[in-house]
Parts: sequence; C-alpha cells; structure tokens
Amino acid sequence: MRTGILLSLYPATWRRRYGEELEDLLETRPLTLLLALDIARGAFDAHLHPELLQPALFPTGGIHMSFSTLKRPSALIPLAISLASLSLVLGEVAFFREADQQNRALRLSQLLMAGQIPLIAFFAVRWLPRTREQALLVVVLQVVVWLMVAVPVYFVKV
Amino acid sequence: MAPKVKLSSEALLILTSLADGTKHGYAIQQDIVRLSGRRLGPGSLYGAIARLEAAGYIVATEAEGPRRPYRLTASGSRALADAVEILRKVTTTATRRLATR
Repeated sequence: MRTGILLSLYPATWRRRYGEELEDLLETRPLTLLLALDIARGAFDAHLHPELLQPALFPTGGIHMSFSTLKRPSALIPLAISLASLSLVLGEVAFFREADQQNRALRLSQLLMAGQIPLIAFFAVRWLPRTREQALLVVVLQVVVWLMVAVPVYFVKV
Repeated sequence: MAPKVKLSSEALLILTSLADGTKHGYAIQQDIVRLSGRRLGPGSLYGAIARLEAAGYIVATEAEGPRRPYRLTASGSRALADAVEILRKVTTTATRRLATR
C-alpha cells in the first residue's frame, strides 16, 4: 500500500518501465524514512529527466548530453524576473526614502511581473504537449513563484 | 567513437557489479553491499540504471518475473576500463604522496 503511494510519485512512463522492478526491490526490506526519502528523491529526479526514457531523442546518448526542461531559457527567465522584481520591492523599502523613487521602483516591478505572463503562457503552450509531466512541474513552479512575488509587488502601499 | 561520459560513484559501482555477469536490481544491490559496504537505495539504484541504459552502457535482458537482469555492453565495458585507469592513477599518486609525508 505505502509502496504503491511512493511509486505513484514517479512519472507514468517511468513506472511502466521500472515500476515492477522497483516494487520488487522495495519488498526486500522494511520501509524506513530513509528509504522513503530515497524514493522521493528518485521520483523528483525522474520528473526532471524524462529524456532518460527516450534515448532515441538524444542520439549521442551521453549522460551529460541529457538536459531537463527546467534548464530551458523560457523556464528560467520568468523565475529570474520574479526574483528581480522581489529584489526591487525589497530594495525600495530598504533604500529609497523618497516617495517618487519608491513609486518608480514599484511601477517597474509591476511591469516586470505583468511581462512574465506571456512568457509563462509561451512556455506552457510550447512544452506541455511535448514533456507533459516535467513541463507541468515547471509551470506550477513559475506560477507559485509569480504569486509569491506578485502579492507584495501589487499590494505594497507607498 | 562513443562520447565520453563521466560516471557517478553509483554508476561505477553498478558497472563493476555487472562486469562479472548479468544481474537484476536486487542482485546488483547485494553485490554492491559486498564489494563496497554501501547499500544503494532503490531510487538511487534505478536512477543510475536509467542513466546507464540511456548512455548505452548496459542493456536490459529478458525479465525473470518482476526481476529484469541487466548486462554490460561493449561501450559500458570500455567506460568502466577508462574509469578504472583514472582511479588507478589517482590511487598510485595518492599512495606515493602519502609515503613521502
């Protein structure tokens, strides 16, 4: 039962290929916290590297030739912009004493946050149909980080 | 010529285990415990197996029930030999330098 829950953390393609073997191995020892953490880490790695199960897409086949969707510029740029916007908001509170300076920094942060929406949409449209589970993980991460930064950026009162 | 791939310690242990014959996941895990004292968790073991398969260093053979044996390929054998050669140089140098301290 608990083994099934742990295995469900893996992508479906991974479970189809290695699920039975992994389950067999899990049944050889009592389930401990360390074992569960090892499985969770393995599942996270499997989500980040779906290309490992499609070596034909990567003809050179090398371990270093593999890459994850998370490393694509369209995945990283929105995350970087969110962090830049957060730095601007924190910076304006910490360093700017003048109201017009704070306003300028705040408007810039709001523009940066709004500019990310088409970038996140572009990433979702381009990558969700290709690497569904991995791209979904990235989109969820982008949206969560966007929301975390958007709240202080849009609701800060100058 | 196959691309050179840097092997993780888990990958090196798996290739070493398979160097003396075909083994399934559980047998690889037990062999690694015997040869290194280290027990690879199932997540780590199959993460490394997937990478070695993708690199063409090992191949799965016909399943025996839920257990699927893996076999070292020729390129896996070359990769292991290269890694062992590097380790040999490191070991020799370390031994020599420790002796002169």
